[in-house]
Amino acid sequence: MPSENVLEVFRSGLLTPLPRAPSFLLGVTGHRGEVLPVVDLLRFLAKGEARIMPRTRIFVGVSGTYVAGVVADTVLGLRRILVSDILPPPVGADAATEHMLGVVAGPTAEETINLLNFSKLLQTARQRAVTR
Amino acid sequence: MALDTTNEKPAKARGAKKPAASKPAAKSAGAALPLKPLSDTLRSVLAGNLQARVASEIVTGDMAEVAELLNQVLERFSDAEHRKHVAAQEIDQALDGLIALVREGDLSRWNTTTEDPQLAPLLEGFGKVIETLRTFVREINEAALRLSSSANQVLAASTQHETSSTEQAAAIHETTATMEELKHASAQIAENAGAVARVAEETLGAARAGRGAIAEFIQAMQQIRSDGIAVADSIAKLSKRVERIGTVVEVIDEIADRSDLLALNAALEGSRAGEAGKGFSIVAAEMRRLAENVLDSTKEIKSLITEIREATANAGSAADASKIATESGEKLGAVAAQAVEGILAGVQETSDAARVINLATQQQRTATEQVVASMAEIEDVTRQTTQASKQATGASAELSQLAGRLAELIKRFKAD
Repeated sequence: MPSENVLEVFRSGLLTPLPRAPSFLLGVTGHRGEVLPVVDLLRFLAKGEARIMPRTRIFVGVSGTYVAGVVADTVLGLRRILVSDILPPPVGADAATEHMLGVVAGPTAEETINLLNFSKLLQTARQRAVTR
Repeated sequence: MALDTTNEKPAKARGAKKPAASKPAAKSAGAALPLKPLSDTLRSVLAGNLQARVASEIVTGDMAEVAELLNQVLERFSDAEHRKHVAAQEIDQALDGLIALVREGDLSRWNTTTEDPQLAPLLEGFGKVIETLRTFVREINEAALRLSSSANQVLAASTQHETSSTEQAAAIHETTATMEELKHASAQIAENAGAVARVAEETLGAARAGRGAIAEFIQAMQQIRSDGIAVADSIAKLSKRVERIGTVVEVIDEIADRSDLLALNAALEGSRAGEAGKGFSIVAAEMRRLAENVLDSTKEIKSLITEIREATANAGSAADASKIATESGEKLGAVAAQAVEGILAGVQETSDAARVINLATQQQRTATEQVVASMAEIEDVTRQTTQASKQATGASAELSQLAGRLAELIKRFKAD
């Protein structure tokens, strides 16, 4: 995730599920006096589902005026990536690919970093939630 | 010979009388010539014919008277001669009886009578003496026979007594030998009983030692059990401490996690501040690394605690098992102690019994020795008795022999 889209990271507290919400919308939680919807990216991208543990990290993503919590498996840390290193995402892949900004090649194939396009992701989510 | 001797006397008597007888013959021959018939008759008488007489037809006158007188003289002479002859015969008979008595002891042949008034008292006296002797001999014979039979009976009884006495001596000897063996046997029994008593005493000592050892064993088991309880307590305490460490580690982990988050958010803030927040971001990253180190450490501690927990659980179960084992050991020890008590009681009884046997056999030995001594005395007495009965047998044999000889001797005198 680009760091301009991340406000902060916190530990998941009590999630309040919302009725008639899409499956990727796990619920809402209170954070610094505001109600924050929490999204499961794995469900959203149809790649399984996240498991909420007491220490599961939730980061607060921002795109314009929209704010949403996203469940993360782990938070590895902050990394500086040069723009020149960003490669375009692979063409003709699954639904996840269209929400990616690009790919940063690591020393090995496993350390390859996918950069998420959070604004587009949030937009699609909103659209899906509304269309229901 | 007897006849010769007996004839001498009458011959003398005849010789003495002859002159008296021949005197009238010589007187008559000188008186007359025709004396031939007279002298012939006298010669015939002298020749031994005492029956010769002067025939009265051939003489006459005075001669006839002389012849008559001569015949009377001759008659008288013949009578005297006849009487003399008879007496001599009777005397011969009496002498024969006496000779038989003296030579052969035959009293039976005395059977002499006489009409001779001179001989009669003498023969009567002899007859009385011989009758008395006959009675004597008869009685003596009877007595000798009785004596002989009595002596034989005595001999038989004495022989039987001797035999039985010898048998008795043999039996007593055998009994003495048996008693001797019995004495030895009882001595052996006493010795064996003593050995049994000794062994029982040793066993008693060993069993007592075993009892002591079992008591020590039970004590040791109790000690082990109490130690095991202490170990279990310690393990429980250790477990509690470990739990406490776990909670503390949990707290540290929580703090480290929060620190991690804080550092991350700080790094985000720093990156948002741009170049100005770069240093801050580096410090925050460093903080985050520290927190992660702490998290790693706490994870390691947690795994260690888990291992310790497992180890203490194992130790606890081992302590429980040890406790059960020691309890069963104690029970077994109690059972063993009971068994040893039984052994002790049994051995005590055995020891007592062996001692009693020993005592009894000793008494028996003493009694047997007394019996042996008594038997020896009895044997001695029996030997003397045997000796005496032998002597008695010898004496009675001699007596029997003597009685037989007496009877034999007496038999020589024929009474009937």
